[in-house]
Amino acid sequence: MKQQSDASNNRSNTVDTLTDFSLLRLLQIHDSAFPIGSYTHSYGMETYIQEDLIRTKQQLIAFCKSYLFHNLVCGDALIIQDAFHAAKDRNEARLAELDELCGAIKLAKESRDASMNVGKQFVRTVAPLLDSPLVEQWKHKIDKEDVKGHYAVLYGIYSEALGVNVYHAVMTFMYASLSGLVQNAVRAVPFGQNTGVQALNELLVHVEEAAQKVMNLTIDDLSNNALGIELASMKHEFLFSRLFIS
Amino acid sequence: MSKQGKVNHFGKLEMAFEPRRGYTRLVHVYQQPPLKASRELYEGQKPTATVFIMESSGGMVAGDRNEIDIKLAPDSQVRLKQQSALKIYPSHTGELCTQSIHVEMEENARLEWMPEVIIPFERAKFQVDTTIRMMASSTLIWGEILAPGREMRGEIFDFQSFRSQYKLYVEDSLIAFDSLHFKPEEMDFSSLGLLEKALYIGSLWIVSPNVRELNVRDLQELMHAESDTQASVTKLNDYAIHCRWLSKEQRTLHKEINRMFIHVSNLI
Repeated sequence: MKQQSDASNNRSNTVDTLTDFSLLRLLQIHDSAFPIGSYTHSYGMETYIQEDLIRTKQQLIAFCKSYLFHNLVCGDALIIQDAFHAAKDRNEARLAELDELCGAIKLAKESRDASMNVGKQFVRTVAPLLDSPLVEQWKHKIDKEDVKGHYAVLYGIYSEALGVNVYHAVMTFMYASLSGLVQNAVRAVPFGQNTGVQALNELLVHVEEAAQKVMNLTIDDLSNNALGIELASMKHEFLFSRLFIS
Repeated sequence: MSKQGKVNHFGKLEMAFEPRRGYTRLVHVYQQPPLKASRELYEGQKPTATVFIMESSGGMVAGDRNEIDIKLAPDSQVRLKQQSALKIYPSHTGELCTQSIHVEMEENARLEWMPEVIIPFERAKFQVDTTIRMMASSTLIWGEILAPGREMRGEIFDFQSFRSQYKLYVEDSLIAFDSLHFKPEEMDFSSLGLLEKALYIGSLWIVSPNVRELNVRDLQELMHAESDTQASVTKLNDYAIHCRWLSKEQRTLHKEINRMFIHVSNLI
């Protein structure tokens, strides 16, 4: 009898039913027209572009893979996963801890600020779209400055409120993050749109692999090994000219 | 938490400092081999106590554990120096070597931890947890350097695993969590975005009310990186700065990080 691969077994353990309606609601927050300002950040990539280290499609893919596996998988994605479960349990104390942790692991000021700015814009945008007491409470906490309002925590809270499953929430977050980076590279390098589309298409298989990997990790695995990207994000603040905020 | 087997060496060092008659004194010390602390040394009439931390075994072997606890009473001024690089030997049994460092600093205390190198040999497994709790009025300058192995012997990222978690709390708020988890068999450090051409990682943490007076742009210019080194500085908040270096060469990195250490120490 043909056996399923380990990877597909892992995923099948973590995936609940995804209804068409919850899928559509998830898609909406990843639409490029969704106004949360993530397109204004390059998360260190602009430094690489200015230092002439991203000139080809393969270099762009290499950068995105490092960002995906060595920053997102063991960083924001784990925060989203934990925030999703904490939101399900209505555990506000845990959510506050995750918000603090999310800021503390982002050592580069611009990346940290980006996470808070996008988070605040996100909660302002999504709060009227859904009747969620927890989202409202979190918005109130941000307004009162009780919490910083990091995007990954809010994304976890909101995706739980949407009724999607955590696997799809994590996977689409990663897809949107890489899509944003590729679009920025298309403008900044510049690449043609077709190159961007091809690069993102090649990255899809890695996004799926990365999301499966996250399902086997816990918040204890939080780390950031993409030190080159982090350093680039730190250096970005001092670049002579900048297209992006970070 | 990883399951630990037999602990070969359990080094323990507790140190408590407080000011007495104009000098900071080491008022409590408990030492269990292979860890040991020197007596306090003073430069002229300066109140800062300089203490050397020694590791008499020559390095950590699989299953070894080191615990270092440091307490600074209000107004104490301390400079700690490791006597030599921390060497982590191959793990023949598959067990981890672990080291934990806990620091508590009270009001207006000042601690300087001079950077020494951690060298994980081939097949080494090492985990270090550093937790610093300090007050907003206290001052910390803390440096660290990580080597890829014994480079001169051709050991470059031949260790099994290296995990470091550095947590910095100010007034109970976690302001920095630097967490590295290197598993060379699963990672290509030369990839774009990881270490690329670098082999050595240097970090400096500067926390002080006087950081408000520092200009990060000036510090960035001071870090005029040599061709084999990349460096940058960032603000963790209004009173905390983090500097990071990625370097191909240990000697250059050591020189650069010490230069910045002394520069900042003189300013704050």
